Amino acid sequence: MMNRREFMTMAAALGAAFGVTNLPEPVAAALKQIDPQTIPKLLYLQGQSCSGCSISLLQAQSPSPLTLITKYSQLAFHADLSATSGSQAMNLIERYIAGDAGPYILVLEGAIPEKMPSACVIGDKSLASLLESAAQTMAAAVAIGACACDGGIPGAEGNLTGAIGLPEFFSQRKINKSVIQIRGCSVHPDWVWQTVVHLVKIGMPKLNEIGSPKLFFSRTIHETCPRYHDFQQEIFAAKLGDSGCLFQLGCLGPQTKADCSSRWWNGGQTWCINAGAPCIGCASPLFARQKNMPFYRMKKRKA
Amino acid sequence: MKIELGPLSRIEGHLNVKTTITDNVVVDAQCVGEMFRGFEVILRGRDPLDAQQITQRICGVCPYAHAIASSYAQENAYGITPPANGRILHNLIQGANHLYDYLLQFYQLSALDFIDITAIVNYKGSDRELVQVKDWVKAELASKKAFPGAPFLPRLEGQYVKNDEINIGALKHYLEAMEIQKKGNRAAAIFGGKFPHATGIFPGGCAQNPTIDHISAYQSLIEEVRDFIHQKYIPDLLAVAQAFPEYWHIGQSRGGFMSFGLLPFNPGRDSKRLFASGVLLDDKIRAVDFDRITEDVKYSRYSSASGLKVNEGELTPAPDKNEAYTWVKAPRYDGQMVEVGPAARVMVDYLQGNNKQVTDLVDRFAGIAGISAKELNSVLGRHLCRAICAVVIADFLLNETEKIDPGAPAALELEIPASGEGFGATEASRGALLHYIRLQDHKIEKYECVVPTTWNCSPRDDNGNPGAMESALIGTKVANPAVQIESVRIVHSFDPCLACAVH
Repeated sequence: MMNRREFMTMAAALGAAFGVTNLPEPVAAALKQIDPQTIPKLLYLQGQSCSGCSISLLQAQSPSPLTLITKYSQLAFHADLSATSGSQAMNLIERYIAGDAGPYILVLEGAIPEKMPSACVIGDKSLASLLESAAQTMAAAVAIGACACDGGIPGAEGNLTGAIGLPEFFSQRKINKSVIQIRGCSVHPDWVWQTVVHLVKIGMPKLNEIGSPKLFFSRTIHETCPRYHDFQQEIFAAKLGDSGCLFQLGCLGPQTKADCSSRWWNGGQTWCINAGAPCIGCASPLFARQKNMPFYRMKKRKA
Repeated sequence: MKIELGPLSRIEGHLNVKTTITDNVVVDAQCVGEMFRGFEVILRGRDPLDAQQITQRICGVCPYAHAIASSYAQENAYGITPPANGRILHNLIQGANHLYDYLLQFYQLSALDFIDITAIVNYKGSDRELVQVKDWVKAELASKKAFPGAPFLPRLEGQYVKNDEINIGALKHYLEAMEIQKKGNRAAAIFGGKFPHATGIFPGGCAQNPTIDHISAYQSLIEEVRDFIHQKYIPDLLAVAQAFPEYWHIGQSRGGFMSFGLLPFNPGRDSKRLFASGVLLDDKIRAVDFDRITEDVKYSRYSSASGLKVNEGELTPAPDKNEAYTWVKAPRYDGQMVEVGPAARVMVDYLQGNNKQVTDLVDRFAGIAGISAKELNSVLGRHLCRAICAVVIADFLLNETEKIDPGAPAALELEIPASGEGFGATEASRGALLHYIRLQDHKIEKYECVVPTTWNCSPRDDNGNPGAMESALIGTKVANPAVQIESVRIVHSFDPCLACAVH
């Protein structure tokens, strides 16, 4: 956990970055001391990732992605969106990480191949070496998605590269920095953007035992599921397309804390269980971890 | 002179291109995939029904293509055919994903190579969004920040469109495309559950029986996307082509072309598809035979054997292997290098006269641009073929929705054999995608993926022949060797996805 002073500095910086006004004291007081020329930028790096979290962030509905990257945030670099490329881009990244381009918030999507540094390289630097340097200069760190938080699928059983998440990476390197952890494979865009807004407006969000904001990750999918009544009445779906609780098909809602059932996905269009699909536990730190823990139990086996 | 173009931005993932320049010409190019995860090993020993979920995480840009290829492969291994509704929903999910991906590729990933976004400071109109961007750019440029205007500035030195009206119009559509792409994804999510990474796709169909409210919502969203394609995307593409006609002749790959065919009309495995499959080698179309695909690894960072067929594939990483320069393998068809992707998809279909709409669109646009069908093998050709695919797919999807039997089942009750094997082939937005699954004792014994960018960003094969993108870069004239905006435009025209290429 960061201390109060670190938090105030970061909250103030984030407030300026996101252009939020009407801040409660004492956040507003701290904010006034910040020079707008030097507010932290989001330096978004990708590790062993699929870009799914980045693509999900572009699905943000309110505010829209455009507003988020021009009005609410200052995006120093993102490999999928930046006009710059090559040595010009590398120079930008390295100047931030050296502490020469002003304060920045490190945002990581993807895992880190701790046992095989050449399995993730940006320019001529391994991701691991960039992160180790960034830890000395960053204002804060946010891990986005299953991979950056826990290793995700690259870190699942059979992992050839020693893929781990950012908290574990810092811990192994004895770097004492806190990491805000937003799980999900992919993340829901609100979980990321609204965490930052929460930080600024109200202060540090309460985190659960695995470092994720309780606002989004406090209750299990099962507890808040619209099919919970079916579960209580023991009305279970026996096959895909059936109504009823999906538990017997393998639903991992009981083991997964996230607010999908009330938030819904893709601008509130739908979500997994509304589309008849059992939860596969993508917001759980144990997501896809073990080979002998299948997602589904629906199938009949032929001899 | 040796110049590295990495880290390449506005693509998916970690790509470097090592170039050698003599007299302002690229005389050598090596595509370097810089990230490795090892999916095929992670899949071994898992429950087979995990596969369409795990493989979606290969790529968060085109996850549905992987879910569909995996479902096809599992259907083949289980010996099942989905009900009509199930296959239609597969198509509706996959097709909508293509539409979003083409818009993202043109506006967010490629447009900034051509469009001069600094033209916004000359904007005199009153459009709210454009005024917002203009004010923001002006404030940024007036600031003392180390990198004002990020992520839109800095940018590479080069010639951009000079006409302010075109620049500002395209910028407005860049912003609109960010909204429209979401609608394509919302449409897919209706049946897939969410985007990215759908939970609703299964071998044998989809998790929910479609009802009339789903269908009408889907239609409405796709109609909006289709309007944008016709009214904004195609005119913008033609404006870029008019400003840079030389790019009809820049970036030709020097091998064959291959497409696995896209969007079946019927549930059966051998159904005719909206886009035909085929391999174009030596100006002749042949039927695709998966047995003729092999993967070389002499220049790839693996110690496993080279030249293996897909169903024999192996994966032993060797990060320090001598001569190896990339994590990407070198797939070959009958030993030949082929390009995959939108240009291959359109050419393979066009030359077989499979789809009259494709033929008509190619002839019409080739007439407008003053090119022959062969010049689809170029930077602008690839961009044009994406737009042609977008038009054809949007119409197809709306037709498909009329074929749904509302309320009828969309999935089979699955019975999974202890052993078996299957291939699943489709077209991701970036090209030909192949999955192979083999089961033993109800578990995955082997899983192999040969993915579009594996073909396009392939390194040299064991005979020293370059991959498609390498061959397209070699011979390119560059104004400024240190920057090479010409090479960057070639790379972007392939729309590389390195998470897919290596996986």
